[in-house]
Amino acid sequence: RSRSKSKRISGFDMAPPAAMIPNATAATAIVGQMPGTTPTIPGMFTNMF
Amino acid sequence: CSRLHTKPSISPTLLLSNMYQRPDMITPGVDAQGQPIDPKAMQEHFEDFYEDLFEELRKYGEIESLNVCDNLADHMVGNVYVQFREEEHAANALKNLTGRYYAGRPIIIDFSPVTDFREATCR
Repeated sequence: RSRSKSKRISGFDMAPPAAMIPNATAATAIVGQMPGTTPTIPGMFTNMF
Repeated sequence: CSRLHTKPSISPTLLLSNMYQRPDMITPGVDAQGQPIDPKAMQEHFEDFYEDLFEELRKYGEIESLNVCDNLADHMVGNVYVQFREEEHAANALKNLTGRYYAGRPIIIDFSPVTDFREATCR
């Protein structure tokens, strides 16, 4: 096949649509949750002892 | 193939699972919209894929052989087998391709025990 055709963009690193990456949304959710969950743990300790 | 065969810890051959998707994978000769596909377009689609693959893989070492399965058994369809001259090159390619995407789908890559493709059949 002729090589004169301009080089297409390689399919490598063609990321899926954002909605299709469960990890991306999950990761941001976890990051968002972290400050909220951490303070509850010291609270639990005070109740326990 | 990708069935439960022993996976070596190092091998010159890599398996990229289900990487090639034919345009007519749902019904042979017909695309996802139900339109018949020109065999020439199909060949071109495959050649583009093969070229992308080759151009990417050659960055990591000398390629001995590059095979794409056009097999309808669904555990094998579109599997790509790439054999490098050296195990280290395969290891390098594995390291560099893990966690990346091709055409919007994650690349599933692992070492494969296959070193002779004439002998390679799933039994």
